This record gives sequence, C-alpha cells and structure tokens, in this order.
Amino acid sequence: MEIVVDNLVQAFGDAPHTILALDRVTHRFPAERVTCILGPSGCGKSTMIQIIGGIEPCTSGDVTISESGGSGNRPLGSQSVMVWQNLNLFPWRTVVDNVAFGLEMHGMARKERHDRARAMIASVGLRGFEQHRPAQLSGGMRQRVALARALVMERPILLMDEPFAALDAQTKIVMQEELIRIYERSKKTILFVTHAIDEAILLGDEIVVMTARPGRIKDVIPVDLPRPRTQEMVNTPAFGRLYDRALHLIREEVLSAMRQQDQAVH
Amino acid sequence: MQPAAIKHRRSVALLHATLPYLIVVAVLLAWELLVRVNGIQPIYLPAPSSILRYLVAMLLDGSLSYHLSITFMRIMAGFLIAAASGILVGVAMGMSPLAARIIDPWIAALYPLPKISLIPLLIIWLGTGESYKIVISAVTAFFPVVISTFAAIRQVDPGLIKAAKDLGATPHQRQIKVVIPASLPGIFSGLHLGMGVTIIMVVAAEMIGGSSDSGVGYVLVHAGQVMQTEKVFAALIALAVFGAVLTNVQKRLDRLVAPWADEKH
Repeated sequence: MEIVVDNLVQAFGDAPHTILALDRVTHRFPAERVTCILGPSGCGKSTMIQIIGGIEPCTSGDVTISESGGSGNRPLGSQSVMVWQNLNLFPWRTVVDNVAFGLEMHGMARKERHDRARAMIASVGLRGFEQHRPAQLSGGMRQRVALARALVMERPILLMDEPFAALDAQTKIVMQEELIRIYERSKKTILFVTHAIDEAILLGDEIVVMTARPGRIKDVIPVDLPRPRTQEMVNTPAFGRLYDRALHLIREEVLSAMRQQDQAVH
Repeated sequence: MQPAAIKHRRSVALLHATLPYLIVVAVLLAWELLVRVNGIQPIYLPAPSSILRYLVAMLLDGSLSYHLSITFMRIMAGFLIAAASGILVGVAMGMSPLAARIIDPWIAALYPLPKISLIPLLIIWLGTGESYKIVISAVTAFFPVVISTFAAIRQVDPGLIKAAKDLGATPHQRQIKVVIPASLPGIFSGLHLGMGVTIIMVVAAEMIGGSSDSGVGYVLVHAGQVMQTEKVFAALIALAVFGAVLTNVQKRLDRLVAPWADEKH
C-alpha cells in the first residue's frame, strides 16, 4: 500500500486567527516500508498521520492510498490503523476485549474475535494477561495491548504516533525490537512519528524531517542500514553519519520552534 | 532485631488499630458519668445506657424495623425515579447538543432553588400522603444525577472516541460502547449525591406535614413532641446506621458494575 499525500494543508481556527499546522505537504510514502516522521514538537506530524488515517479531515489537499503488488487479506474497514501516543485503551475492558474491540465493531462473533484476539495477545508476549484490565498492567505491557489491538485488524498500513515516547529507556528498546520483528514478519507499510533521532534511524527505511510550524517537509533522509535491524547498529559509523545529518537538520527546526514559543509567551 | 523491640512494635501496632474504638468507648463512658454524677434530666440529655434500652425495646417490639422499612421504601421509590429520569435526561443532553441547549436553562434556573421550599406547594397539590414524600425526594435527587451524568458524558476522553472510530465503530457504536461505559464512574458519583439528598428529603418530608404516622422522620418528631429524648436519640442512631449501610451497599454495587473506576491509570 503506497500512500501519496498531495498539497496537504491543515489550518485551525477561523480567519484571521488561523494557525497553519501543515503547509502544502507533498510526499510519496513507499509501500511496505517504514517511514519515520521526525520533527520538533507542534510541527503537525501527529496531525498529518491522523489525516492520513482518516481520523481528522484536512483543510485542503489529497491523500491517496493505492494498492501495489499482491493483495493479502482484505482488511476490516479502512486500510490503516492507528497506534496512539497515549494508547487510548478502554479502561473498562479486559485485555482480550480491548484487542477484540475493532473486530466486535465489525460484527464478528464472540468466539471468533476472542480466538483471534488471544492469538494476537500471545504473539505480542502477553499470554496469561487476557483477563487483566489496562490499569493492572505496566506501561510496556499496555503498549503491547495497544499494538495487538491495531495488528489484529490485519490492515496493511500501521500509523504510529510517538507510541514509545512515554516508555522508560529499557522498555523502549524492547518495544522497538518487537516492532522490527513485526515488520519483518508482516511487511506492512508503517508511518512512525517520533521526535527521537536514534529511533527514527533504527526503525526507518527513510526519515521525513519536518520543519517547525507550519509543518513542511524539510528533507528526506534515506536510511541504507541493512535489515533486519538490531540495536547493535547504533554503534556503527553509518548510523553515526545518519545521526549527524538528521541532528543538523532537526536542530535548526527545534531552535526555530523555541523562538516561536518565546514569541508566543512575550 | 531484639525480641523486646519486636514486642514493642507489635504493641504499638495494636494500639494504633484499637485506638479509634477505645476513644468511642471513652466518650460514651464520659457521657454516662457526666449524666449520672450531675443527675441530668433524661429529657435534656439521656445517658447512653438508657438510649440503648430504648433502642433495644424498639427493636424487640418491631416498631424500629416497621418505621425504617417504610422510610426505606420511600427512599428507594424517590431515588429510583430520580436515577432513571436523571440518567435519561443527562444522557440525552450529553448526546444531543439541541437537547442540551433546550434543557440547560431549566436546570440552571431550578437547581439553585432549595427544594425544601417546594414542600408547601407539593402539599397543596398532592396532600401529605406518599406521593408528596416521593415527589419531593425525587425532584431533589434528580438534579445532582442529571448534572453529573451530563458532565460525565461531556468529559469522556476524545482520544477514546477517536480510537473507536479508527477501529471501525459507527457513531452509534461509539455512543453505546465507548461514551456510556466511559461515563459510568461520573454517573455513579451523581447517584451517590442523589442518594444522600434522597435520604435527607424523605426524612424531612416525614417530619413536616403533620398527618404522617410512619417513618423514622415521624418517630423523631413525635418523640420530640412528647419529650421522649431517649427515643429521639435512638431514632437518630438508627438513622445514622441505616444511612451508612445504604451508602456502603451503593459503593459495593459500583465496584461490582464498574470495577475499573477505582484503579489508577
């Protein structure tokens, strides 16, 4: 599934007080690749993937999702599914009922949706926690529930909005490895929003660097590290070169974003 | 650790556990002594022992359970009417902006009105029978229930609704499967407030009106008029225990229906 965004504009508020969040963003996100979207806080990167996911309407522009090559299972509902920064798990539902939520909404019978949910829960390493509620789990485990809830929909596009930002450093590493494993196995098209440069390099086939508000695409960095990726690659010279390049690009934008905030305060 | 130190720690823990009860006993003893030593007349302040005698007598002759059960029935009737109508109206307001715009001014205008001031009007319309007591308590309890329900629905995390939409929930499914369960804890806190005012209003209605001849409120007024202060105290104690039991049962029901509401997340 290739995603093409064409002249995407998102403006909030009524004229003359409109705030431009996205300014004519045009990009082709390659099919079955991981694209990381890197940018300073408030650059509209979350807004962009919510527009791509059909969760928010945009002011103008187009999102086209086109089939490329062989098609797998027909997904339930739309082509993409979101993994949210703050997870948005349903606190009153058990793990299995959280994971089965989407299947339930599409009218799947209880037995079948629970079977599928259980299989997915086991594959993210949460076997035995099916009847727990989110509040009874650790942060990393909740993250796995959120991932399972998205994956069980078998949609070809996975949209991830800073999913690991709230995790501690060790849990984050484990979850990154989990995602690499999922990608190698399923070859989904993944859009991964992050503000962590090392995360973007480790996970991405390319990195889209965005400017401070209004969000535009500043540059696209291809990541030519071999797959499957491992945490050890972080220490290679190739990784270091990519890091320096991304850091150089992002530093200007972070400074620019800070200047904007200063102006807003004064 | 030295055995002596362990023993010391244990006795401190025991003291901490029993101290609240010891204080209750001490206060009761002081009260009893105060009354006996000073020879205070029971119509002003009866001794705890004579209150207890009255309480036991009322329990044994069945009058306490009779009046309590009648008060209980009135409370349940008023509460259930208020809960059902309050939740219904609150949900309607939360889900339809038009309903909210129409109903909100009425609630804003009527909520600050002390409901007890409606008693003369209700007695004119309904007399002093059962319907007046149930209506006054239901009207009073309706407001906290409707306001809490409306607020709970409006404060549902929009992220949950977006997530449900992304997973394919239709607008109707989002209401039933996300908005309603997410607002249950808020609705329950409205029901707690509603139960509290229902108890107050039923007992108040039993005390006012004159023609009533049953209920704990009646017992209180009647015993007060004939200076049976022991009976007044006994009825107050019964009422306090009864109220505590009701709210406790309600809390347990909440936990049964919405066990996630107590958990941190």
